[in-house]
Amino acid sequence: MKFLLKLFGQALPETSAPRAKERLKLALTYDRNGLEQGMVEQLRGELSRVMAKHLAIKAEEIQIDIDHSAELDKLIASVPLRSARRPRGAAAVSSAGAKTTAGAKKAAKRR
Amino acid sequence: MAGRVITVTSGKGGVGKTTFSANVSAALAELGKKTVAVDTDVGLRNLDIIMGLENRIVYDLVDVVEGRCRLQKSLIRDKRVATLHLLPAAQTRDKSAVSPDAMEKICAELRQMFDFTIIDSPAGIERGFQNAVIGADEVIIITTPHVSAIRDADRVIGLVEAADKQHIRLVINRLQPALVRRGDMLDIPDMLDILAVEPLGIIPEDETIVISSNRGELAALTNTSPAGQAYKNIARRLLGEEVPFLPLETSRGWLQWLTRLFKSN
Repeated sequence: MKFLLKLFGQALPETSAPRAKERLKLALTYDRNGLEQGMVEQLRGELSRVMAKHLAIKAEEIQIDIDHSAELDKLIASVPLRSARRPRGAAAVSSAGAKTTAGAKKAAKRR
Repeated sequence: MAGRVITVTSGKGGVGKTTFSANVSAALAELGKKTVAVDTDVGLRNLDIIMGLENRIVYDLVDVVEGRCRLQKSLIRDKRVATLHLLPAAQTRDKSAVSPDAMEKICAELRQMFDFTIIDSPAGIERGFQNAVIGADEVIIITTPHVSAIRDADRVIGLVEAADKQHIRLVINRLQPALVRRGDMLDIPDMLDILAVEPLGIIPEDETIVISSNRGELAALTNTSPAGQAYKNIARRLLGEEVPFLPLETSRGWLQWLTRLFKSN
């Protein structure tokens, strides 16, 4: 029956074992390192307060991931930096919006 | 030559430690090895009833620890296999009655008396577990293909490694090949990947186990059921023999090939 559904292009409900494996890997990474999943939010807040003293950042943009793909588990914090500079070149054209194609070509040449 | 003390533990309760301990002890004994199975689940003893020896208990582990009898006197010799013995736990006390030190001394004595001492650990990671592990030369971790059992097994593996036990091996119990084929039960490679411990055996779900325990019989002795066969194979592996794992149809095989064929269109 499931096989026929597949033939007719119906999506099969996702089986549960892969999800179990994902959840286990994540749970074990936290367990093994004495981390709590809820602690990540706290970490984000504290990191952003420290970094905000030196950089222009937005707390909610900080992404914290646990990478357990390699042999060593890693906690990776990704912090997008807000650019304080004026945008240049093609970016300037698109952000300014209404520019002629000629103007756009000139801008591209200059780069 | 000194024997081997092997502790069977899991963290999670109900995954098959006692049944495993009973059956593998019996299989080893049947292969001619002088074997004793030790119940360390003081207060919740079950090794005796699984082995069908519950009406032969006179003295128990706590009697030995508290000096009421000599170790030799507490051992029950199985009438089915002459080389199989049981050291039962006490039922009316709890795990505080035995200390790791006392267990270590008992293990040292048993190591001299038996080729194999199989210690059935209680569930948990508290005193009972500590008592069970302290005297071990080798540790067998039992798990089932469930998220809870695997999580607990991982924790216990960490604790056992921290106690400097080098020989740690995994047994996956109660596998249901049909569920694995359907993608609704963790597969063997998945579990080995997650736990990263050498596999000793894989035992399929088998209803003859409950029938055996109802009768106080041991599958490894009485029948050729898949589980019985798996226990016997594990005993042989413990003796250094290379025994291939039972063929459990956990992959779709032809069905996989066919689905792949359709997916690519």
